[in-house]
Amino acid sequence: MEEAASQLERDHVHSVYDKIAPYFNDSRYKAWPKVRQFLLDLEAGSIVADIGCGNGKYLHINKEVFKLGCDVCRPLVDFAWSQGHEVQMCDGLHLPYRDGCFDAVLSIAVIHHLSTKERRIRAIKEMARTLRVGGRIMIYVWAMEQKRRKFEKQDIFVPWNPNPQSSSGFSREHAKPRRRATAQSVSEAIDNTDKHRKVRSTSSVADEEDLTCTTPQQRTQRLWFFSRSLDSVFDFGSLAISRSSSRDLSTLSSPTGENEGNKATHRGRGRGLIKQVSSFFSPPSVIGSEEDVFDSVTDLNGTENQSASVSLTQECGSLALPDLVPFQKEHLKQSGDESDGGPPGKELQESTQSPQGSEGQVEGSCLRYYHVFREGELAELIENYVEELHVKQTYFDHANWCVVAEKVQLWKI
Amino acid sequence: MKLLTHNMLTSHVKGVTKGYPLLIKATEVKVNEVEFNPQFVSRMIPKVEWSCLVQAAEQLGHRQDLPGELVPDYEKNEEFLKKVHRVLLEVEVIEGCLQCPESGREFPISRGIPNMLLNEDEV
Repeated sequence: MEEAASQLERDHVHSVYDKIAPYFNDSRYKAWPKVRQFLLDLEAGSIVADIGCGNGKYLHINKEVFKLGCDVCRPLVDFAWSQGHEVQMCDGLHLPYRDGCFDAVLSIAVIHHLSTKERRIRAIKEMARTLRVGGRIMIYVWAMEQKRRKFEKQDIFVPWNPNPQSSSGFSREHAKPRRRATAQSVSEAIDNTDKHRKVRSTSSVADEEDLTCTTPQQRTQRLWFFSRSLDSVFDFGSLAISRSSSRDLSTLSSPTGENEGNKATHRGRGRGLIKQVSSFFSPPSVIGSEEDVFDSVTDLNGTENQSASVSLTQECGSLALPDLVPFQKEHLKQSGDESDGGPPGKELQESTQSPQGSEGQVEGSCLRYYHVFREGELAELIENYVEELHVKQTYFDHANWCVVAEKVQLWKI
Repeated sequence: MKLLTHNMLTSHVKGVTKGYPLLIKATEVKVNEVEFNPQFVSRMIPKVEWSCLVQAAEQLGHRQDLPGELVPDYEKNEEFLKKVHRVLLEVEVIEGCLQCPESGREFPISRGIPNMLLNEDEV
């Protein structure tokens, strides 16, 4: 079980990130405002660890605190280092830090990649160990309850399309100078970091809104989900079709229609025992008549064989994922559009085309494993299993459940 | 890897009870200028394991005349803070490795990044 869990995470978390890392250097992967605020609110002189820091998008916030980040993905930490950040490679279940050395710990979009409850608890305990008494930890995990996305199971695979063409023109524009920075020597990169940051920070929010308001509204997206729960000992019996009417998903897609092209090319990559079900629908939207296409949901129904798990070849457009900041204003999301009621105009199509793979590189390997958290689950995990943490705050933010907890002194007799 | 980072790092190889401080075997060390902020340095000092910092600086040949014991009233001692600033934030190990003091396990440092991943038989 433990071995299976770590194998699954290697195949469907670690190696996926290794492959998709280059595309994270994209301005869509920017700091969540509430995480930024958490960092800004820290006392000057604090020492902070960002566990699972990815490309280090939180490591530049607040010059008055010392931050270090770690991740298992070498390409991501390489990028973070090129930006002048202090980073290490390590595993979240075995943090290489001494006890109580941090004033604050961040765990943003990390715990949901661990495939058993026991491992999720261990990861939280391990972070708590490195926190000083009175120190605070902020944890973000992807939520099961999402307005524009329906998950029928908590353990899912989400594909990622490592196709830079599917990112918006805005993203491409910004990707260039930053890639250049990667190639620079460290000292130059450090010198330039502030410049880049300024560019980013002054342009990002405005540009986002511009993009939301001005791009063509006709967009299409697709994504696959399928489910496999390790907690329930390889429960392949039940099917998880996730319906997404994600608006943040669609607003992230290319305004130029490139995705339509991709869709046609990449349709129908199901393999072996896996058949694909396509579903199309277009949810109502306050920002236009955009069309969300959510097709090719993978169906594992009746598949008992464990080895059948992930022989998929597929791609999908840039998705709204837990680590992506959606290109839209908060108020737009809340104003009136409740697509929860099921996607109107949904059509199911069965697609059993054989793979025609010229994109074989990403075969199966760009499926990321997620355990999506139910409301209250994260806080309960902490309250029931991590006695050294005391939950201070819990809330929902951009399709994530979030907890801020404080380490308390335990008096052991 | 800055020495402030090194100050937090420890080895958790299976069976090891004292994996701290890690020995530094550096093949490439750089000194990158970082803006001096005396207040920041003063705030960091109580959070670091002083002897670990001095030992690390010594191993890299950058100890200068840093005292083995923390001096009193260091907040007002700008000359002292500048030295601490240098070893904490400016001296960086680019290539080399960190060695667990108990098991002898070496963790490689390449392009400034320590790889602290453990093998399956080490956890």
